[in-house]
Amino acid sequence: MTNIYLPHLARIITIQDDTYDTKTFGLELVDAEARNTFRFRPGQFLEIAVLGVGEAPFGLASNPNHPEAFFVTIRAVGSVTDALHKLSPGDIVGVRGPFGNGFPFDEIKGKNVLFVAGGIGLPPLRSLIEPMLDARSEFGDVQILYGARSPADLVYKNRLKEWETMQDVRFMMTVDVGDSGWSGNVGVVTTIFPKADIIVDNTVAFVCGPPIMIRFAIMELLRLGFAPANIISTLERYMKCGVGKCGHCAIGHKYVCLDGPVFSYREMMKLPERVV
Amino acid sequence: MNQYVLLKTDLNRWVEMARKKYRVYAPERVQEDIFFAPLLGPPESEFLTGLAVLPYLPPKDLVFPQSEILFSYSREGEKIALTVPDQETEASVLLGIRSCDTVGISWMDKFFRENFNDTYYGRRRDNLITVTIACNRPIKNCFCVCCEGGPFLDPGKNSFDLQLIDMNDRYLVECNSDQGETLINLDPALFSAPPPDMEAMRNRLEEEARSMFLPEPTSYMGTAIRRITADSVPSEVWTELGERCFDDGGCTFVCPCCSCFGVGYLAHGSGGCHYRFWDSCDYSGFTREVSGHNPRGEKGERFKRRFFHKLSYQYVKKDGRIGCVGCGRCITACPGEVGMPTVVETIRRSDTGDSSKE
Ligand SMILES: Cc1cc2nc3c(=O)[nH]c(=O)nc-3n(C[C@H](O)[C@H](O)[C@H](O)COP(=O)(O)OP(=O)(O)OC[C@H]3O[C@@H](n4cnc5c(N)ncnc54)[C@H](O)[C@@H]3O)c2cc1C
Ligand code: SF4
Ligand code: FES
Repeated sequence: MTNIYLPHLARIITIQDDTYDTKTFGLELVDAEARNTFRFRPGQFLEIAVLGVGEAPFGLASNPNHPEAFFVTIRAVGSVTDALHKLSPGDIVGVRGPFGNGFPFDEIKGKNVLFVAGGIGLPPLRSLIEPMLDARSEFGDVQILYGARSPADLVYKNRLKEWETMQDVRFMMTVDVGDSGWSGNVGVVTTIFPKADIIVDNTVAFVCGPPIMIRFAIMELLRLGFAPANIISTLERYMKCGVGKCGHCAIGHKYVCLDGPVFSYREMMKLPERVV
Repeated sequence: MNQYVLLKTDLNRWVEMARKKYRVYAPERVQEDIFFAPLLGPPESEFLTGLAVLPYLPPKDLVFPQSEILFSYSREGEKIALTVPDQETEASVLLGIRSCDTVGISWMDKFFRENFNDTYYGRRRDNLITVTIACNRPIKNCFCVCCEGGPFLDPGKNSFDLQLIDMNDRYLVECNSDQGETLINLDPALFSAPPPDMEAMRNRLEEEARSMFLPEPTSYMGTAIRRITADSVPSEVWTELGERCFDDGGCTFVCPCCSCFGVGYLAHGSGGCHYRFWDSCDYSGFTREVSGHNPRGEKGERFKRRFFHKLSYQYVKKDGRIGCVGCGRCITACPGEVGMPTVVETIRRSDTGDSSKE
């Protein structure tokens, strides 16, 4: 019988510095059987443990079409994340999951898709953007709007350049505060909405980022005419187990770890607590 | 379901047989209080009568201990080994548990075993046989009747192993599972077939017991459930109740239906462990996020959360019943004297709308 609290051991294969406080960890499950059967959906998350230090949830950031080489992007903010940042390739961590509902994919084929990402909100969205680009012809217009606090806070800089040049993706980015080397847009992500020619009709919008950014982006999308059911975001809650048992992530009768982390704005409005 | 008669004079012999094969837990007086403890001799008979006796803590720690190791790890050079603590637990019998606590265990069964099976809970639960004693006379704080938590278990509705019903010099024994039958078979000679009129007597005793409850909280439970479900309890009510809360978590620890836990991490030298421990939604740290933001930073919000979980129809749909069995322990545990009945009563008083006529 599976033990829901026992992690798989995973080896860190690659570590990439994204920003001064954010790194991307490429991982590989040590057990061959577990490695071969590991699958995930866009928007799901893992519980990653530094043994003896702690465990925390992180959104899978990589393309689910390549489950053998998965990665997570982690910002150092506290005990577990700091400990993770101190590790090197070859080191072992514990991995449980994937958990959570994930983003809709097949359900939205044929529709236009808008991504609004803020800072470290881009990694979880990337797990949806990449498979969508793999199946590009099955979706309508694809637009990505990305904002970060400063040029130094932008993650996946190489990939951003590729998205910028792709013919069938409309990509724009902005920073709250520029620097001497920055000639692009300046202002929070919602300030590029007016010049982005956002298509509202038949479009599903995915919003991910810090809570304040999510709130303003959703308000703006509603104003543009998006229906609450077509605005999809993720909720972050303090989590311990990831499997609906510890009670920490409950909002009303929903558990962010089981029923989320992905919720439409329509679902969020029905929760008994204000969440965005 | 099978029924038997066991003479009270034969009880100790049966328990003695059981102690040879099982670790037997029963209520035991420890200074002022009563706790479930492993029996080293015959059980204290005063706790095995129809007069309700409620140990200070429910027996939930037998299936969900206050703290337990999830796994330990050890490092040897490059190699890391993970070990799960021994999955074998001693086969146990829980004697003298009251119907409310038995229903509490059923609540936990559903919660822990369905939808991601918690094998730590499961392995303990599989090794536990319960012998419930029905309550012919409730005590002051009890209100199980309004929570479908007793005073008798219903063999058609509740899942349980054995139920003893006190009939003066004998027990009517109701057996509702194979596990229960195993205990009968320890010494079948002690158990005789009940005479035909015994069922009628049993039902009369149950009726009498039900009629002894104070009417107060009983009739109001429904109003509280409806208003919490509809989110129509004014926030001042939660704030007012929250002001009487000392954040001590007592009500959650003594509750047979509270199951939240935290996870801790220990490292020493080349090894360590991850363990879990009872946690409480009463604590402000329960939901505090990394950003410092706390969705339930106010006591009133935490109060609302706790009772939404216990009483809302949304949760009833999920869990099959309300998350309260009416044991009344939270009343005893709370220094601010807020227990389930207080909450139900306060919600009722705050009602100014139509439902006040209910
Ligand atoms: C479903 C889900 C998916 C997630 N995905 C990701 C992901 O892909 N990448 C990622 O990096 N994170 C992600 N997170 C967040 C991540 O889980 C937390 O950052 C992590 O739990 C922090 O653990 P820690 O032990 O390092 O911090 P702790 O030691 O528990 O806390 C650090 C302490 O530092 C302070 N602090 C920490 N962060 C901040 C801050 N931002 N501002 C101000 N003070 C702060 C606070 O006082 C906090 O108590 C996700 C969370 C959820 C629920
Ligand atoms: S809420 Fe109070 S009365 Fe109800 S089961 Fe829990 S401790 Fe007992
Ligand atoms: S993280 Fe434990 S219940 Fe969701």
